[in-house]
Amino acid sequence: MDKKTEIAKRDDQNIEKTRELYEVPPAVDIYENEDEILLYADMPGVAKDEISVNIDNGRLSLSGVRKLETSGAASWEEFGNVEFVRNFSVPQTIDVEKVKAELKNGVLALHMPKSEEAKPRQIEIKST
Amino acid sequence: MFTRFSDIDRLFGTMDLLRQRLDSLSTDYTRPYGTRWLMDEGFLRGNLYQSGDGFEMRLEVPGMEKESLDVKIQGNYLEISGSRDQKLPEGYKVHKTERVNGTFSRSFTLPDDVDSTRVEASLKDGILYLTLPKSEAAKPRQITIS
Repeated sequence: MDKKTEIAKRDDQNIEKTRELYEVPPAVDIYENEDEILLYADMPGVAKDEISVNIDNGRLSLSGVRKLETSGAASWEEFGNVEFVRNFSVPQTIDVEKVKAELKNGVLALHMPKSEEAKPRQIEIKST
Repeated sequence: MFTRFSDIDRLFGTMDLLRQRLDSLSTDYTRPYGTRWLMDEGFLRGNLYQSGDGFEMRLEVPGMEKESLDVKIQGNYLEISGSRDQKLPEGYKVHKTERVNGTFSRSFTLPDDVDSTRVEASLKDGILYLTLPKSEAAKPRQITIS
């Protein structure tokens, strides 16, 4: 076995990987009422076009990339460019067509309405 | 051993990757308990960039309006305070609250004095940008050789 070639091969595979952004889970708040599930996620510094929200088969994935230009020499840096990534399981009863997302001051608000069948229904008791 | 600079670069890259893996391991571990060690001390994280005539500071302040933030500068002392108070939406059941709430304050000692009259602050996408020009006395001066 030629060890040299094997090492070289792995190196080639790793070139892209070492360049990837840090993945950070954003802090979230999740609320629910009879009509919808409401999710807030802190994503400071992420522009609107850099956010993607995917709901597929009961799986919600959030992703937001922070790309900030820097100038000058850094005296200290506590945050950098990262990718905010987090996945959740959501009930199948979410009406995917009506999901609304807003981004304000670096906070993503996601309104996920429940489909009509999943809402609780008031049953009227008939007296006979 | 290393014949090219990119070899060294890649070595560091691999170390970063390892650190990243370990980091994600610890967040996986702490998440179910709802404690967020990283975030608690991490709120209001800031970066400071320095150029010849001034500083640029950036702070993470997600979800804050400009009215609820307070920036004070005196000489080289900078203080940021504010309160983040997210109202619980009416009639909702709570599943998770990880986002930080309440009042906070953080102070910095800048490496040089700042001209407080020309400081500019702006807020965009949950990040507070401060442009802090150095005061005349602290600016670098060109010395001509006689």
